[in-house]
Amino acid sequence: MKVALAQIAPRLGDVPRNLALHREWIRAARKEGADLIVFPELSLTGYSLRDLTGDVALDPARSPVFKELAGLSRDITTVVGFVEEKRDDPGLFYNAAACFAEGRLLHIHRKVYLPTGGMFEERRFFAAGRNFKPFRAPFGRAGLMICRDFLQLGASYLQLVGGAEVLLVISAAPGRGLGTEQGFATSRMWELMGEALSFFTTSFVIYCNRVGVEDGMTFAGGSFIFSPRGELLDRADDLEPGLLVQTIDLTAVRDVRRKWGFHREERPEVILHALERTIRSHED
Amino acid sequence: MKINAAFVEKVLTRFIRGELGRAGFKKGILGLSGGLDSAVCAALAARALGPGQVLGLIMPYGTGFRDDVRDAERLAAALGIRRRTIDITPQVDAYFARHPTRSRVLRGNKMARERMSILYDVSAREKALILGTGNKTELLLGYGTIHGDMACAINPLGDLYKTQIRELAAHLGLPEDIRKKRPTAGLWPGQTDEGELGLSYDELDGILFALVDERKSRREVVSAGFKAAAVNKVLAMIKASEFKRKMPPVAKVSARTVGHDFLYPYDWGK
Repeated sequence: MKVALAQIAPRLGDVPRNLALHREWIRAARKEGADLIVFPELSLTGYSLRDLTGDVALDPARSPVFKELAGLSRDITTVVGFVEEKRDDPGLFYNAAACFAEGRLLHIHRKVYLPTGGMFEERRFFAAGRNFKPFRAPFGRAGLMICRDFLQLGASYLQLVGGAEVLLVISAAPGRGLGTEQGFATSRMWELMGEALSFFTTSFVIYCNRVGVEDGMTFAGGSFIFSPRGELLDRADDLEPGLLVQTIDLTAVRDVRRKWGFHREERPEVILHALERTIRSHED
Repeated sequence: MKINAAFVEKVLTRFIRGELGRAGFKKGILGLSGGLDSAVCAALAARALGPGQVLGLIMPYGTGFRDDVRDAERLAAALGIRRRTIDITPQVDAYFARHPTRSRVLRGNKMARERMSILYDVSAREKALILGTGNKTELLLGYGTIHGDMACAINPLGDLYKTQIRELAAHLGLPEDIRKKRPTAGLWPGQTDEGELGLSYDELDGILFALVDERKSRREVVSAGFKAAAVNKVLAMIKASEFKRKMPPVAKVSARTVGHDFLYPYDWGK
């Protein structure tokens, strides 16, 4: 299977322009023969929305943007980032990811872990999602996560237990921290997490981060793909827009899982009971 | 504290290009003092926008800064950027002839604000955006004139300490006489920052990095080897200058107020 990571710089608050950008990059990925294209977090809106959040929200059931993206997905599975607000849930804005395939909307994930503190203030503007639920994509079972979701240990655990073979992570991660090495300190942190979690979950980790500058923040790029053995298969440049295209062999998941039984031997009921006891004792 | 200057150059040139382009500008303008910070900013702008799109304004007062003027002119020529010299002496002297003072600080602040006023006027005439040259050391200590040299449209250098800007200057290949020059706010001839602050930039940056970037406590910074008096002075300067880093507070009376809960990104619609 051929995977394309669209490391783009969306324009802040401008959905029509960003939709045009998606159209262009989907066309480019299709030309490369890609089966899957992944866009970054909030790719249809830009990241630093603040009070614009409600102005750019889309209802998947009604939005013409969704209709068009579904149509474009007939021969290429497409993952985008957007702000969700359903007509029957007004005022609940979610930082969400949508997966389209075979001409229709397959799955929506709402960001569960909203970083709030330091330079982040997502909880001030977004409602939090409540679930990590792997879903059946044309290529296999996939788990969607948005940026900080991936850095919270429990999220990938739930994807593993739910049977995900491919972890799709979309991100708008600003670069922070300088040292003598090339790139931001945070980019190395993301790669370390990609390496560790692909190994822990014996899954592919496909991570698409954005580039560009918003309000002085530089989004770091450096999108990557790790194999279920924790090997870095490919990595996009820091800071530069670009389409990263890489062929991956999904049979590697089965091969690795025959050898490493993390998934087979996992006992979620033990975790569940232990968690219940922990939570109860916290409340006492 | 050490930086990869090539990577920082990449980030900052993209920042300058991105911010200007989004705001619909092609040209950048900045004041050239003949010192390190404005030289680094000019060099970054020249790389980001092309030398022909950068205008350096040299705005000397009196005859006490001839060497700095010469260094600024040479720098502009070496970078291939446009330059213009505007002598601020007549307008500053006219003001102080009517409102005399012996305070060097008051005179220096007035000069800084005259330069700001000229920069904004020329930037509008030229359809250029003003690039600030204040560094992280200055911003944290409040070592600058509010609405004077601190005024700008975008600030590429504000997250780099003075000692890191020296590293960047070496990477950018700036002339040695600018890199080795003793930093000065240029408020009066012979002034040096380190003389006025009573601490070297190595000490200042070391203390600031520990307090701000590493979030160390006063006690931890002192036990790391910095003098208690120096750390106390730096902390006092940071606290006393917070007003220079903020928009003025708006008295909130309505349901939705600028500066409180009217919250839009700076790059809104750009």
